[in-house]
Amino acid sequence: MYIIMVYDVHVERVARVLKIGRRYLTWIQNSVLEGELTPAQFARLKRDVGKVIHEEEDSVLFYTLRDAGDVRREQMGVQKGEPEWLV
Amino acid sequence: MKKSLYLTSSGTLSRDQNTLLLELETGEKRYFPIEQIGDIHCFGEASLNKRLLEYLTQQGVPVHFYNYYEYYVGSYYPREHNSSGFLTLKQAEHYLDESKRLDLARRFVRGALQNLQQVLRYYAHREKPVHPMIEGIAQVEAQLDDAASVETLMQLEGQAREMYYSALDPVLQNPDFAFESRSRRPPANRLNALISFGNSLMYTLALSEIYRTHLDPRIGFLHATNYRRFSLNLDVAEVFKPVLVDRTVLTLVGLRQIQPEHFGEELGGVYLNDEGRKRFLQAWEERLQTTFQHRRLKRNVSYRTAVRLELFKIEKHLIGEKPYEPFRAYW
Repeated sequence: MYIIMVYDVHVERVARVLKIGRRYLTWIQNSVLEGELTPAQFARLKRDVGKVIHEEEDSVLFYTLRDAGDVRREQMGVQKGEPEWLV
Repeated sequence: MKKSLYLTSSGTLSRDQNTLLLELETGEKRYFPIEQIGDIHCFGEASLNKRLLEYLTQQGVPVHFYNYYEYYVGSYYPREHNSSGFLTLKQAEHYLDESKRLDLARRFVRGALQNLQQVLRYYAHREKPVHPMIEGIAQVEAQLDDAASVETLMQLEGQAREMYYSALDPVLQNPDFAFESRSRRPPANRLNALISFGNSLMYTLALSEIYRTHLDPRIGFLHATNYRRFSLNLDVAEVFKPVLVDRTVLTLVGLRQIQPEHFGEELGGVYLNDEGRKRFLQAWEERLQTTFQHRRLKRNVSYRTAVRLELFKIEKHLIGEKPYEPFRAYW
């Protein structure tokens, strides 16, 4: 499944959430990551993020798509990050 | 499904933020999600340290290295995390018992020959003059049952390959990519360079997948186990080479996605240049991710998964559960 993760957390925890996100997904721009995960990996990602955030003030969203083919992304301005496997 | 990471540019690889970081020579930093990486292929100059290797072991990610001329240099094969004494014994038993080894080796060759014919049939449907080669390979296949030694099997396989290669020029009909004959170390022309590069990728693909099973890559059956290197991956590669490598090469050349300007000549051989290598890797990865309807599982599987399933079939053969029937392409 293809996951887009968007987060809005207290500044003290931004780096920690980013660090967890990077293990699983590719950084796209500030507070946005995306990538292909198995259901098990997705569950672990949510578990790891859940340990760090504070439920009363932070917010993390996961958009789930069936696969990468379902994503159509248009871009304006600078490209900051992109999932790449050939560098 | 886990992906392969192909590094053609040079830089420093390290563990950072508990994931994989590549710092390019330009100073640019790229993070790769470790959870999604199945293996790494290094073509450029990579600097790395033991701390990274420890991390890759923990995550079970093998790394394959290639030199400047795209030759396979070697692999970092992390400590086995799947190991089964029982299966290792069975694998050794099938190697040491002459008749069991011959039986398995024959199955690998049969799979290879069937897939060679299948590739040619695909082109026969497109009205390429390859019928004589298909028949020739079928005749060789008929002799497999009489082969009394692994060496004879190897010879038969070589004969079939030769016939198959003689079909390449009629299929492509492209003077820029004339085949003439198979040449290696160094490849004498462009088509040979493509086949050699594709074969290297096939061997490492099989090796990476073996790492995810209980099999021991050092004990091959068709390719003799010796003191030099991995050999089981060569056996498995034989079955898939026609379907994965040769079709990738023929498609790239046929669609003119690879052109003469993507090659360079060095030390009396012909090699892909940076752009050519990238195009090949792109096409290769796309082919591995292509899915098809699996006849028995009744679901779509990718070719990369098909290689893994092949290894599970070999495991079943070794433990005596079900005789190994090699993968066959149907188009």
